[in-house]
Amino acid sequence: MLVQELPAPPVITPDIVWSALAPVIALALGAILLIMFRSVVKRMPEEYNSIATIAVGPVTVLGMWIVGGLVGNDVPLSGVRDDIGEPLFYLGLIAILFLSGAFVRSLEIGFDAAFTVGVGLVSFVSTVELWSDSFRVPVQTVNDQGEVFISEVGAPIAAIGNQYGIDGFSLVFGGVIALAVVLTALLLDAYLRREGIDGPEMYVLLMLSATGGVIMAGANDLIVLFLALETLSIAVYVMAAMHSRRAESLEAGFKYFVLGAFSSAFLLYGMALVYGATGSLNLLEIRFYLEQVVIFDNAMLLAGFAMLLVGFGFKVGAVPFHAWTPDVYQGAPTPVVAFMASAVKAAGFAALVRVFYVSFIDYAPDWQPAVYALAGLTLIVGAVLAIVQRDAKRMLAYSSISHAGFILVGVQAASTRGISSVVFYAAAYTFMVIGSFGVLSVVSGKGDRGTGLDDLNGLGSRNPGLAFALTIFLLGQAGVPLTTGFVAKFGVIGAAVEARSFWLAIIAMITAVISAFLYLRIVLSMYLGAAAEDDNEKIAVHPTAVLAIGVALALTIGFGLVPGPIDQLANDALLTLVG
Amino acid sequence: MSALLLATEAAGNEAAASFPVLSALVVLPILGALLLLLLPNSRPEYFKQVAFLVSAAVGGMAIWVLTDFQTGVHAAEFQLQNSHTWIESMGISWHLGIDGISLWLVVLTGLIFPIAIIAIDAEHEPKAYYGWLLVLEAGCMGVFLALDLFAFFVFFEIVLVPMYFLIGKWGHGERAYAATKFFIYTMFGSALMLVGILSLAFLNEAETGILTFNLVELAESQMIATTTARWIFLSFALAFAVKVPLFPVHTWLPDAHTNAPTAGSVILAAVMLKLGTYGFLRFGVYLFPEAAVFFAPALVTLGVIGIIYGAIAATMQHDLKRLVAYSSVAHLGFIVIGIFSLNTEGIEGGILQMVNHGLSTGALFLLVGWIYDRLHTRQISELGGLQKPAPIFAGVFMVVMLSSIGLPGLNGFVGEFLILLGAFSAHRWWAVVAATGVIIAALYLLWAYQRVFHGPAEGDNAKMKDLTLREGLIMLPFLVGIVFMGVYPKPVIERMEPAVDALIQHVEDHVDDFDEPVANIGVVVEDHSEDETEGDH
Amino acid sequence: MVEAAWLIPAFPLAGFLLLLLVGPKLGEPRSGWIATAAMGGSFAAAVTTYIGLLGLDAHGDADNDRQYVQTLFEWVPAGDFQVDIGFLVDPLSVTMTLFITGVGALIHLYSIGYMHGDPKFSKFFLYLNLFAFSMLMLVLGDNMLLTFLGWEGVGACSYFLIAFWFDDEANASAGKKAFVTNRIGDWGFMVAMFLMFTTIGSIQYTDIFANAAGISESTATAITLLLLVGAVGKSAQIPLFVWLPDAMAGPTPVSALIHAATMVTSGVYLLTRMNGVIDVSASWAPTTIAWVGAATALFAATIAVSQNDIKKVLAYSTVSQLGYMFLAIGTGAYVAAIFHMITHAFFKALLFLGSGSVIHGMDNDQDMRHYGALRKLMPITSATFIIGWLAIAGVPPFAGFWSKDEILAFAWEENKLLWAVGFITAILTAFYMSRQVFMTFFGRYRFADVRAEELEELAAMKVAAAETAVTEAEAGIGDAEAAVAKATEKLEKASEKLVTREAEMADADAADEKATEKATKNLDKARDGVEKAQVAADEATTAVEAARRAVSAAQAQVAHVAAASMGSGSLEFDLFVAPDLGDIAEEDLPEAARARREYHPHESPWTMTLPLVILAGAAIVAGGMNLPFASDLHFLDHWLEPTLVHPAHLTSSASVKWILAIVAVMGGAIGIAAAVMIYLKGRFPASKVELPIMAEGWRFDESIANFMGGPGRKGFDLVAWFDATFVDGAVNGVGRVVREGGGQLRRLQSGLVRSYAAMVAIGAIGLIIWFLSRASF
Repeated sequence: MLVQELPAPPVITPDIVWSALAPVIALALGAILLIMFRSVVKRMPEEYNSIATIAVGPVTVLGMWIVGGLVGNDVPLSGVRDDIGEPLFYLGLIAILFLSGAFVRSLEIGFDAAFTVGVGLVSFVSTVELWSDSFRVPVQTVNDQGEVFISEVGAPIAAIGNQYGIDGFSLVFGGVIALAVVLTALLLDAYLRREGIDGPEMYVLLMLSATGGVIMAGANDLIVLFLALETLSIAVYVMAAMHSRRAESLEAGFKYFVLGAFSSAFLLYGMALVYGATGSLNLLEIRFYLEQVVIFDNAMLLAGFAMLLVGFGFKVGAVPFHAWTPDVYQGAPTPVVAFMASAVKAAGFAALVRVFYVSFIDYAPDWQPAVYALAGLTLIVGAVLAIVQRDAKRMLAYSSISHAGFILVGVQAASTRGISSVVFYAAAYTFMVIGSFGVLSVVSGKGDRGTGLDDLNGLGSRNPGLAFALTIFLLGQAGVPLTTGFVAKFGVIGAAVEARSFWLAIIAMITAVISAFLYLRIVLSMYLGAAAEDDNEKIAVHPTAVLAIGVALALTIGFGLVPGPIDQLANDALLTLVG
Repeated sequence: MSALLLATEAAGNEAAASFPVLSALVVLPILGALLLLLLPNSRPEYFKQVAFLVSAAVGGMAIWVLTDFQTGVHAAEFQLQNSHTWIESMGISWHLGIDGISLWLVVLTGLIFPIAIIAIDAEHEPKAYYGWLLVLEAGCMGVFLALDLFAFFVFFEIVLVPMYFLIGKWGHGERAYAATKFFIYTMFGSALMLVGILSLAFLNEAETGILTFNLVELAESQMIATTTARWIFLSFALAFAVKVPLFPVHTWLPDAHTNAPTAGSVILAAVMLKLGTYGFLRFGVYLFPEAAVFFAPALVTLGVIGIIYGAIAATMQHDLKRLVAYSSVAHLGFIVIGIFSLNTEGIEGGILQMVNHGLSTGALFLLVGWIYDRLHTRQISELGGLQKPAPIFAGVFMVVMLSSIGLPGLNGFVGEFLILLGAFSAHRWWAVVAATGVIIAALYLLWAYQRVFHGPAEGDNAKMKDLTLREGLIMLPFLVGIVFMGVYPKPVIERMEPAVDALIQHVEDHVDDFDEPVANIGVVVEDHSEDETEGDH
Repeated sequence: MVEAAWLIPAFPLAGFLLLLLVGPKLGEPRSGWIATAAMGGSFAAAVTTYIGLLGLDAHGDADNDRQYVQTLFEWVPAGDFQVDIGFLVDPLSVTMTLFITGVGALIHLYSIGYMHGDPKFSKFFLYLNLFAFSMLMLVLGDNMLLTFLGWEGVGACSYFLIAFWFDDEANASAGKKAFVTNRIGDWGFMVAMFLMFTTIGSIQYTDIFANAAGISESTATAITLLLLVGAVGKSAQIPLFVWLPDAMAGPTPVSALIHAATMVTSGVYLLTRMNGVIDVSASWAPTTIAWVGAATALFAATIAVSQNDIKKVLAYSTVSQLGYMFLAIGTGAYVAAIFHMITHAFFKALLFLGSGSVIHGMDNDQDMRHYGALRKLMPITSATFIIGWLAIAGVPPFAGFWSKDEILAFAWEENKLLWAVGFITAILTAFYMSRQVFMTFFGRYRFADVRAEELEELAAMKVAAAETAVTEAEAGIGDAEAAVAKATEKLEKASEKLVTREAEMADADAADEKATEKATKNLDKARDGVEKAQVAADEATTAVEAARRAVSAAQAQVAHVAAASMGSGSLEFDLFVAPDLGDIAEEDLPEAARARREYHPHESPWTMTLPLVILAGAAIVAGGMNLPFASDLHFLDHWLEPTLVHPAHLTSSASVKWILAIVAVMGGAIGIAAAVMIYLKGRFPASKVELPIMAEGWRFDESIANFMGGPGRKGFDLVAWFDATFVDGAVNGVGRVVREGGGQLRRLQSGLVRSYAAMVAIGAIGLIIWFLSRASF
């Protein structure tokens, strides 16, 4: 029994660190609370409803503050408090509470959505707190002159034994997913009103799948990872089918479910094989085992890799496991698509990277070429298929495939730069894609009918704002500088080049040009396409949608101009769990 | 507005050596664009004025840079440098600087934009139109000033967007096709350059352990294996060749020019084509001296083909604008062979010609645009006899045309002559062939002039309005430049010479068995240079 | 004194700038006077410089012998390449400036009269001053680049001035042709400069003189030939002479100044400048020059013989005379070349101005066939013109004789064949010039003649009229016959009725009155009908006859006119017999013809005749510059000596020289005599001499034009087509291919879950295979 002979892994604490679980708990609890509350209170009288909604604002702020306090080493903003003195500080806090209420009111947002947004924010804040406080530990370094430096490094925290833990990597993804929840909820609110779908189910599922996503990013055990992935997926299956009056929606849900189950089977079988080969399901133990034991007959292990790749490949929509993407994206409610393309993809990549980088890094020479091939295929097929579409939503579906290809380019680098580039790309793409699908969901009109290229004709003159936003998102995806999209591409190509995968880099750039053509087609139809007489009246955009799109836009341009912060984040977001 | 005022004050203020004027050159137009964005749509007449004021301020600062520019030995170094960390983990910084090579292109850019803005009114949606123009100016300035490969690439790419919209929204004819073609074609060119830049940086890191995108550091380290360097050079060369444009990747240019709005064409010809030639000089030759020497014959060949081919194609065009566009292909071919002669005469001729081409072709497009505004056609066959009703217009056109033909005494000649002289020392027979391009140039331009301005004037042509005072004033800077640089180019040349010599020295240092191909100098020049120094005072 | 050199070009430049600014305001004639004054000042400056130069020591060290370099400022200082704006004042350049400014000033003065009333009066002088400036830069420049500046500058000005009346496409094309053809030569000049610079590292003339000897023979040869290309273009030698005849489209003073006296001689100047380089080149290089010159001289002379346009004759004569100068250079006789250049400048300018005066006086008619007997009508013009003729024809003691004689002598020493060609050319020159003079000033006054083309169009008009008459008449016939037919028909009907009525009458007796009356009425009616019909018929027949007469009359007329016009040769042009108008009446002559009968050719104003007189004087005495009799009479030889590496001298004995001179004179005499026989006495039909092929310039120009318009243009089109189809096609092709690929891939996207699942499975299998292939069993 080799396992006994292993030295104990560096950081393992048997008990549960609740604070580290805060982001997850927030989401899960939020989901449960909402569904319970709404099943108890079937119909709230209108006035109560609005009061409750407005109440969400201050409650969220308090929640953020308290949770932040619980999670972090000290009360949030305590620095500010000490500077301006207690009374002033609390006055300010109260003022903020009122303001937040007013803000919520001005958003004309529904209760469920407001609640979800609140939950998302709380989860996000707790993630930030974790990132900036408890996850940091001071380290003393002495340089040769004998000077002492205190610097902070990320120290991982094992949350539940060594099954689930947090490190820079999982935190960043957690944060991204939480933000995705917030933005999606905002979009959903406007969307569901228009489509006349009520009920909290959508939001509940949203939070649940997000829970799954966050856990996926931090799972240290294949079983945990699988459970998380299923939580994430099943919720999304349902969300895809949620627009029950639309046949496409139902079809999308069905397809997604069937194929998802199919791929999960591969994933599970892959895990089984890995267990068979290494005798453990714990990522760390697997790694140590593979580090120290030379397996003579590694066929089983490698077959396991293959299966796992299939499973993850399906989740992230890599070719040839991508086929579901266009159909599902086109059928599912547009905000849900936004969530799928952002959070779900991100979570999938998080898991993929975690498993292959943590456990199988010693076998990189074996899996790297496979990922290389997947990346190349994904890039080409995604780009080439995208430009022959006539429907904007479907175009973006395909383009999301080619973006998956780009992230895979980062993955195959199998290096630290690879990780950080993947993180950056995932984060950047999340906001661009939510933004673009957000705009689409607004302009497509009731029943998501108008997603064809021609439906966008003349948008430039009808809704200049929307058109401008979409243009930026598209140019960003095309990798035009001064958007996060460019920096992201720069990163992954850099990683690839550093790993000497020059040809993959070249393929990637060429496909980038091909897909640029597709984005330009959308832009052209917005600005140059002559609008049909009947639909040249301005589209009324609901405030929540404005907020969501605005935030995405601000992030895309802001971090495009000043990529430093996110880049720093991405560089800290290392799999520090690895000793 | 405040930002604008602030900047202009600073430009006036002498003690403002600390003022980051180069960054201002890039940022001010952006601020101007944002300012336009904030202006109310109710007062469209302000848009043009604001845009002009902003670009004029930028031009003023460019002039200030020119006056501030240290001549003599300093002209070899990058001056007025200005650097901030941009992306720390990648060793990327916002690093701007100017030397004798970029100086004149910056000045040219600073002067062309206000003219282009004031010369033609937006046909519709002025706010967006002028906004994009300002963004474009920022991009062009950035390219000429960037000393960091990342920053350079950012600017090099970003210029596509405003130009795309200018052609697509305010163009004529098949504007959608032309705009898309322009964007995709040039983006394809630069796509591989991104790979090249990253490869360069990381391979250099592998050798030196320092990850940097700083132009100078990369150029000085020269740690990359020869063949690799050649590959990377090719990735750069493709991007620049498309931008120049060099035969056979030139076909986006005629479409873009023909369908672009006049201002677009002017800027495209005067400034944007130089991004390519400038890139060759600053990033191609400087970063990869060995590869530059290695590929020089190939590039010179393409340049020569471009000269003859572009000229012949130009002769056969029916659209006046298209004709000028093809003539650009020929002129840019000259610049390329000048650069890759890799000797002082050739490179200086090349840089001069960048400016000259900016003046003459820019002016030509402006004039063609005015003809189009008056007669609503650019078809040569539909024009004729315009000199009768519009003698002054014709006269100005003639002067500009002669400068583009390369008539001695006008700017075009000095550049072309130096280029050919340099090329003759380096690639004798190519220079002889290239010189024939001068003949064809005379052929197509004079033929076009004859068909447009000579002969009897019928119909609308007979009623063509002559040059207005305003238009005359707009043309004045061009004419002054054309004559001045033809009669007394010394001030221009002497400012660029140290930088050029330094560049050639750089190539000689890093390429063994390469010596600047120069004339065989006997005693003659020594004593000549003596009495010339006497002639100085 | 020599310091005044910079003033020489400065004056015309100032004039140019002044006219550029205020020319239109000054208008006519003030702008003309300003320009002329500028040239006068320039001439004065030239004289001053000349005197100053005389002052310079002629026997110092060989290098700066009578040589003064004046540097104004650095022009193009790039690396090792350093070129200044500076003037080289030496005998050669000063000689050039003297006659350029002198003749120039006269022609400016002349133009004031000639351009009188032209709407673009001031612009003309603007160009003229600019030209003078460029020409002076050309000759004064102290380096090849500055010479090149002038070189192209004069080309541009000649372009402006040829196309001065641009409303006429022909003039515009002529201008363009001149510029482009010259550019071909300029190419040679440019490459020569490159080669010079790369060889000795400078293009400063002083450096070139100093280092010419060191240049290797092959390089020197190359430079010489390249310079020859340049010179051939500018000085209109074979094969690039084609632009000069067309250049006559410009105003006549332009032809005189630019296309006879100054610009076209710059090729000769350049080669003389570079004599040091030619000297070290392989011996066949100068021989080539000589032969190009000789060939051109002869070739152009033959063409000149059958031109009818007074200016065309002079144009080809100029080409031919320039050929002489090249011949001289080729034989090393630089001085002779310059000598001939100067005398030629005088008499050819004189001839051109004279022709201008004639054209001016003849209502802008340039066809010599329409002149004749202008001697009395334009006394001064004709007198001066005749002096010019004697000068060019090589009649002693006029200027042309001396210079041409010297050239022929050198040719004789070089190669007898060259001399022969030169001699034949001399004969031809005398012939065609005499022809011109006789046709213009002697013989029958032909201006008032009705011209063949006019009569033909007259005839054509009549024919047309007659034919219309015929057609009308025939139409008339048609109507008439129709009318007859109708009438007869009526008649028949009526008679039938008549019969029936009479029958009724017969059995009406028994019936009651009513019926009877009715019948009678009907009967009368019928009778009337008959009569009416008859009348109609008669009218119709008469109409028919009338029409027939008209037709025949018209046809007769047609026949006559046809006979009058085409039939007898009476309307063909004839030098001596006025056309016979047959029975064509005075009043139905065309308007133009009658107008000409009223028109009275007149002498030109003094502004035009004064220059004629002065130039005539020069054409008489200019020979004195370089008299062969004694070596101290070789003023020009001694003067130019410093600028030449090896001043050539005739080695033949005096007797040979004398014989050559006499032979030359005889040659001239033969030519003149022949012309007298044909054009004065009419002993011999001109058509035998003036071959059409020669009139068309041996179809040389034509064939070039055909090539350019045909294969040349096709080639260009081919390139344009290639660009659009292949180069651009490739680009769009790539896009298409990508889309096609997409279209194919799209098939996979069937929308069926099972096929998707299958794809997943296939992918899985692929991955498994890969990993297992890496497995170690």
